[in-house]
Amino acid sequence: MKEFNLQTGKIGEDIAQKYLKKQGYKILERNFKTKYAEIDLVARQKNELVFVEVRTKKGEAFGTPEESLNQRKLRKLWWNARGYTNKIRWQGPYRIDAVCIVLNLDNSFVRLNHYQNIV
Amino acid sequence: MLIKIKSAANRGLETIGVDVEVNTASRGLPGFDIVGLADKAVDESKERVKTAIISSRIEFPQKKITVNLAPADVPKEGSVYDLPIAVGILSTLTNCKIPEKSLFFGELSLDGSLRHTKGALLMALFAKESGFENIFVPKDSANEAAVIKGIKVFPVENLSQLLLHFSERECILPAVYQKTEEEAFDNLIEFDMRDVLGQEQAKRAMEIAAAGGHNILMVGSPGTGKTMLARALPGILPPLNEKESLEVTKIHSSAGTIPPGGSLITIRQFRSPHHTGSPAGLIGGGTKPHPGEISLAHRGVLFLDEFNEFPRSVLEALRQPLEDGYVMISRSKERAMYPARFMLVASANPCPCGYLNHPKKTCVCSPRQIKKYQKRISGPLLDRIDLHVDVPPVDVNELSENQKASEFLEPSSAIKERVILAREKQTERLRNDSIHVNAEMKNNHIKKYCKLSKEVEQILQQAGVKFQLSARAYLKMIKVARTIADLESSSEITISHMAEALQYRPKGYEGV
Repeated sequence: MKEFNLQTGKIGEDIAQKYLKKQGYKILERNFKTKYAEIDLVARQKNELVFVEVRTKKGEAFGTPEESLNQRKLRKLWWNARGYTNKIRWQGPYRIDAVCIVLNLDNSFVRLNHYQNIV
Repeated sequence: MLIKIKSAANRGLETIGVDVEVNTASRGLPGFDIVGLADKAVDESKERVKTAIISSRIEFPQKKITVNLAPADVPKEGSVYDLPIAVGILSTLTNCKIPEKSLFFGELSLDGSLRHTKGALLMALFAKESGFENIFVPKDSANEAAVIKGIKVFPVENLSQLLLHFSERECILPAVYQKTEEEAFDNLIEFDMRDVLGQEQAKRAMEIAAAGGHNILMVGSPGTGKTMLARALPGILPPLNEKESLEVTKIHSSAGTIPPGGSLITIRQFRSPHHTGSPAGLIGGGTKPHPGEISLAHRGVLFLDEFNEFPRSVLEALRQPLEDGYVMISRSKERAMYPARFMLVASANPCPCGYLNHPKKTCVCSPRQIKKYQKRISGPLLDRIDLHVDVPPVDVNELSENQKASEFLEPSSAIKERVILAREKQTERLRNDSIHVNAEMKNNHIKKYCKLSKEVEQILQQAGVKFQLSARAYLKMIKVARTIADLESSSEITISHMAEALQYRPKGYEGV
């Protein structure tokens, strides 16, 4: 089961990466590991650093991807972002975004929502 | 989209209007937040509202929902905001028209139905005073709110029914106040006065206490009928009048002791807290001041069985409310004033073994023990009790005879009639002073209404010197004499009235 989830996540991240590129973001990192956890995508829009958390779900019967972003996860994202900016000594503005993707059971695309500045 | 729904918060017996502002934003990460000093119960209403809406077959919006309870600096507690929050969300979803000048309150169940919520009467009262026309309450609480006339009380069963009402497809009919069954009262009275064998003096004292609302202390050996007498007392008390009834119901509404479907309380409350109770439980208190037993016994009876087993801190805390008739509970964050005009009925044993002054049995306590036991009740407290009565042991031989005779004894209903008559006299006399019974009279009232003739005053003065009555006890004797005179429909206090009153003087306990 875990393997399948990992696979779903990867598909979602691919979709998100493609989507962001189209929107004019420059992807800097993917699956960047900090001391705390992993950042799905790090991108850059103009002079702003954007950390992107990608949530992918197969079907919404067991809850939406938005619902899976609880306070605890948001706090974790914030710490991750701090870790990254410290590491590369980034002084400029940065924000945290979420991209929520829903797939069908056969991995075909249903919807994608991009939420900016969620923390 | 921003929607404002009106609700209210109860703080003690006061009610403050609360605006429930519900905003559903189309931008931003979907979520559900409540702000405005909400306590845990209010914060948990998120889950109740969400599930109740889903259970009503309406899709819960995937949007950023922010609820603000204004004014933001008043702490909000309890589950009353479930309904206004749900209505706010529903109206942003379905664009239903919410009737103007409407107040909403009630707790939601997960299946979308509404549960009985405390404080309905206070909310309805507030709604009327602040010019609302409609109030939407849970069905079980509607009868309580319907007591207040002049506003429409809508009993709501569940959310879907409410939506149909808003869309005017199926209207909810306003609730009409229905008197709750009074037959339940008869089951409440455990004993009739005629069941108490012997103890004629104690019964007489009970009658006087009931007639004038006086406090009474019964001292006697175990098994003589002290508790029975006290439990028979509700049977001889007059019913509450309209004004008193509303006062009592307000307190009980705020305490949440009114059962679902219940309404105006028309009978006098009889509260008998156990002696392990805490000061906060008896007097009222907590970080958010709640009414205590003395307030729940307002206009009724507070029966303290085993009086000297109560912790001293609890008993001494009774002093001020006994005098003032209300209690002011001050906490750092909130203060509340609760009325506490109750009749104190206390019973105690004369000594630890219980057989001091018993005609047959010998007391095995040492003088020191007895002194220590009796010292548990302080002088100031005893001084505040108007009637002190001795409940002597009944001879077993007489018991069987009395058992037969009990049919010929006076039933509670006959005593009650006399008590009601005496009370009518008092209310008539004290009408302009906004007090109800003789026990509530202050010095100026005594001066005005209890003129003593020369002889009567002489007797009282002699007794005062001989028994070393305090100034307060002196005045209490006049009040008791006034009640005895009222029971006999006498407009003046005669020597015999005063002489009887003096029998019940504060005896300092050791004399019994």
